[in-house]
Amino acid sequence: MKITLPFLAFLFSGAWSLFAQTTISGNVTDVKGVSIMGANIFIEGTYDGATSSENGNFYFTTSATGLQTIIVSYLSFQTFRKEGGINEFSNLRIVLREDVNALDAVVLSAGSFKAGEKARVSVLKPLDIVTTAGSAGDIVAALQTLPGTQNVGESGRLFVRGGEAGETQTYVDGIRVAQPYGATIQNLPTRGRFSPFLFSGISFSTGGYSAEYGEALSSVLLLNTEDIALQDKTDISFMSVGLGVGHTKKWEKSSLSLNTAYVNLAPYQFAVPENIDWNKPFESLSGEVIYRQQLKNGLWKVYAAFDASNFDLNQKNINTTEKVKIDLKNNNFYLNTTYKNYFGNNWQIFTGISYGYGTNNIGIDASKVKNTEHAVHLKTKLGKKISNGVRFSFGVDYFRTQFDEDFIETPESVFNIGYQSQLGAVYTETDFLFSNLFAVKVGLRASYNDLLEEKLIAPRISMGYKTGQNSQFSLAYGIFTQIPESEFIKYSDQFNSEKASHYILNYQFSKNRKLFRAEVYYKAYSDLVKYDTEAVVFNSAFTNTGSGYATGLDIFWRDGKTIKNLEYWVSYSYIDSERDYRNFPTQATLSFIADHTASLVTKYWIQDWRSQVGFSHLYSSGRPYNNPNEIEFMGGKTKDYNSLSFNWAYLLSAQKILYFSVSNVLGSKNVFGYEYATTPNNEGIFNRRAITPTADRFFFIGFFWTISEDKKRNQLDNL
Amino acid sequence: MEKVLLILALTISSIAMMAQSNYEQGMQKAFQHWEEGNITEATALFERIASAEKDNWLPNYYVALVNTTTAFQTKDNKQVSALLAKAQAALDYELDKDPYNVELMVMQAMIHTAWIAHDPMTNGQRLSGTVMQIYGQAESIAPENPRVVLNKAEFEMGSARFFGTDTTPICLQIEKAVQLFDTFKPETPFHPNWGKDRAMQQVNECK
Repeated sequence: MKITLPFLAFLFSGAWSLFAQTTISGNVTDVKGVSIMGANIFIEGTYDGATSSENGNFYFTTSATGLQTIIVSYLSFQTFRKEGGINEFSNLRIVLREDVNALDAVVLSAGSFKAGEKARVSVLKPLDIVTTAGSAGDIVAALQTLPGTQNVGESGRLFVRGGEAGETQTYVDGIRVAQPYGATIQNLPTRGRFSPFLFSGISFSTGGYSAEYGEALSSVLLLNTEDIALQDKTDISFMSVGLGVGHTKKWEKSSLSLNTAYVNLAPYQFAVPENIDWNKPFESLSGEVIYRQQLKNGLWKVYAAFDASNFDLNQKNINTTEKVKIDLKNNNFYLNTTYKNYFGNNWQIFTGISYGYGTNNIGIDASKVKNTEHAVHLKTKLGKKISNGVRFSFGVDYFRTQFDEDFIETPESVFNIGYQSQLGAVYTETDFLFSNLFAVKVGLRASYNDLLEEKLIAPRISMGYKTGQNSQFSLAYGIFTQIPESEFIKYSDQFNSEKASHYILNYQFSKNRKLFRAEVYYKAYSDLVKYDTEAVVFNSAFTNTGSGYATGLDIFWRDGKTIKNLEYWVSYSYIDSERDYRNFPTQATLSFIADHTASLVTKYWIQDWRSQVGFSHLYSSGRPYNNPNEIEFMGGKTKDYNSLSFNWAYLLSAQKILYFSVSNVLGSKNVFGYEYATTPNNEGIFNRRAITPTADRFFFIGFFWTISEDKKRNQLDNL
Repeated sequence: MEKVLLILALTISSIAMMAQSNYEQGMQKAFQHWEEGNITEATALFERIASAEKDNWLPNYYVALVNTTTAFQTKDNKQVSALLAKAQAALDYELDKDPYNVELMVMQAMIHTAWIAHDPMTNGQRLSGTVMQIYGQAESIAPENPRVVLNKAEFEMGSARFFGTDTTPICLQIEKAVQLFDTFKPETPFHPNWGKDRAMQQVNECK
C-alpha cells in the first residue's frame, strides 16, 4: 500500500485540530439581570469549562471543534443548554431561569390544607392523626382541629364552613368513596372507615378546589395510599376496644398489605359504663387489602376494604314513654383500582375505577328498613407538562349510583323506593406558573345527570402571588354543584342540583417550621331543596327554591420551633351563616353551626421518658336549636362546648408503643342540642330532651407492636 | 508502511494517554478544590468530568458526595434543599445505570439521612425505614464493604442513643468496619476510599 501525502496530511490535520484552541466567553445573569457567580459553564463531553466570576463573566479555551453543546448549570436554577458551532460561543449572554420546581415557588393554597410527603407546606403530618389527643386515630377527628370545620360531636362527620356532612366528598387515590363513614343512627357518633396508617398524603380542601372534583358543595378530602411498602412487617395492636393485625410483604417490584381489625365495645362498656342502653354493644369486623405493582413507567394499585358491623340499643325518645329499640347491621365493601403511567413526551395518564357496596338492616321497634347502595366511579385523566411553567390536564368522570330501600312496617305492608342515577362529566384544567412569584390555575367542568336530566357548567379559578420570601396571597373562585341527598331523590326526580359559589382569599406565612395562615371566604348557596312536610316523606312537595350563605374567617398557627420539643397549633374560626332550606319557615342559622370555634393542640416530647404527651382543647360557642315554646324559629342557643383531651404515647422500644388517652378530662357537661316533643303536654308546653355525648369521658389504652424482618436479623432497634 | 502505522499508533496512543491524563488531572484537581473547601469549583469540575466520561460513575458519585456532605453542614432551608436536589439528580443518573452498586446505594442512604438530620420531625418517620432497607440490601450484596458497615452502624447508633438501648453490638460493628478499612483496596485511586477517620472517631466515642 502506498501512502499518499494527502492521507498523512489529513491524519495530522485531524490530530492537530485536537490542539487548536477556541475561546469561549460570556456572562451569566438571572432573569432580573443580577450576575450569577459560581455557575458551571462547559462544553458537553469535554473537560473544557469554567465557573463564572463575581460579575458573572466566564472565559475559557477549548480544543473541541464543529457542532457542540454548551451547558450552564447553577444550584436551584434550570440548567441551560445550547447547541451550536463552537465559534458561536463567544460573548454569550446567558440568562438562567430559576428552577420552578424549586421548593420556594408560590403554591395555590386557597382553601386547602395539605399533609404528607408531597406537601411543601404541611399543616398536618400523617402521624398527627394518631398523636392528636382526642382524635383516637380517626382522620376526621384530627381534621376537626383545623379551622373551617364545625365540631359536631353527635355526628362524628366532617361539617365544613356551614355545609352539611354530605357536602364533603372523600377520595382515595383520586377515586371517590361513596360511603366514607361507618353506619350509625341519629345522635350516635360515627368514625371514618379508614385507618390513618394507610395514607402517606392527606389533602383537605375547605373550598375552591380543582375542577377534577365534582359532586361536592363544600369540601373534598383526598387520601393517598403509599406508593411503595418499605419492608416486610407485621403490626399487632391490642386495644381496650378490640384487636388488630396487619402484615405487609414486599417483593422487588410489588407489595401486598393485609389488615384486619375486630372491635367490640362490650368489655369497655362493662368497665366504663356509657349512658347508652345497649342490648348488644357495637361490634365490627373490618379489613383492608392493598396491592401495589411498580411498572416500567408507572404504578398499579388495588385497594379493597370490607366492614361488617352491628349493634342493638334502646334509645330514649321524647315522644314516647318507652325507649325505642333500634338495631343495625351494616355491611360495606369498597374496591378501588388505579393505574398511573408516564409516556411519550411528558404525558401522564391516570385511570381508576371504584365500586362501593353498602347495605343496612335497621330495626326500629317492630318495623324494619333495608337499604342497599351500589356506587361506581370511573375516571380517566390525561396530563401533559407542556413546559416547566405550563401543565395541562383533561379528564372524564362517570358516576353511577343505585339505591333501593324497603320499608317493612309489618310483613304485609312493604314500601319499596329507590333510584338509579348516572352522571358523566368532563373537565379540563391548565396551570400556569408565570414565575416563582405568580401562578394561576384555570379549570372548567361540565356534567350531565340522566336522572335529573340536567346539564351543568362549573368554572374554577385560583391564583397565587408571592409577596415575600416567606409569604403569599392566594385567591380562589368556583361554582360547585351536587345532586340532592338520597333521602330526597329516592322520592322524586323533579330536582335540580344544589349549587354553591365559593370566594376565598388566603394569606400564608411560613418560615422554619412556623406557619401562619388566615383565610376569609364567602359562600353562596342556591337551588337548595325545600319541602312542605314535617319530615321527608313520599308525598312531600319538593322545590329547589332554598338558598343561603356562609361567610367567615379562619385562622391557623402552627409552631414547632420556638420551644424545644414542643409542637403546637392553634385554630380559630368565625362563621356567619344562614339558610332557608328543607322545611324552614324562614332563613336561620343551622343547628350545627357555632359562631366561634377554636382549638389548641399540643405535643411535647420528653426524651428521658421516651414519651410524647399531648393536650388538646376544643371550644365552640353555643349552637342554635329550635324551641317550639318560643316564637322565634331556631331562637335557642346551647351553652358553650369545651373538651380537654390528653394522650400519652410511650415508646417501650422503637417497635413497641404503649398509648393512653382520655377525652374530656375535666368532664365538662356538654350539650349538642335539644330534641323537642312533636306535641305539647297537658300544660301546653313542648317537653325536651338534651342531646349529649354518649359518655362524658372516653378512655383508650392501646399497645402497638411492629415486627419487621430486618429487626430480627440485626437484633437492633431503629426509628 | 510500518513507519506510518507506527506514527498512527503513536498518535492514537498519545490521544488515549491524553484522555487518561485529562481524567486523572481533572479528578486530582477536583479533589484538591474539595479539600480546600472550594465546593462550587469541585462540583463544577466533577460535573464536567461526568459529562466527558459518560461510562464512569465516579464523577457523578462525587457530585452527590460533595453536595450531600455540604448539606450536612448547612442550616439554611432553601440551600439544603438545593444541595440535596443536586446530589439526588447526579446520583439518579448513575443509579439508573447500576442500581446495585453498593457505593451508590450508600450514597442514596446518605442523602436520605441528610434530609432526616435537616428536619427530623418531617422526614424521620418517612425516611428512616427506607434508609435501613437500603443498608440492609447493601449489606447483603457487599457485607465486607467498610462504608456499608460503618454507615449502617452510624445510623443505628443515632436511634439506639435516642431510645437508650444498648450500643455494644453497634460498637462491635464499627470496630469491624475499622478492620475492613485496613484491608479495603479501592479499584483505582479515585474509587471511594473514605471513612476510616470517621470510623476511628466513632470507636473512640464507643469507649
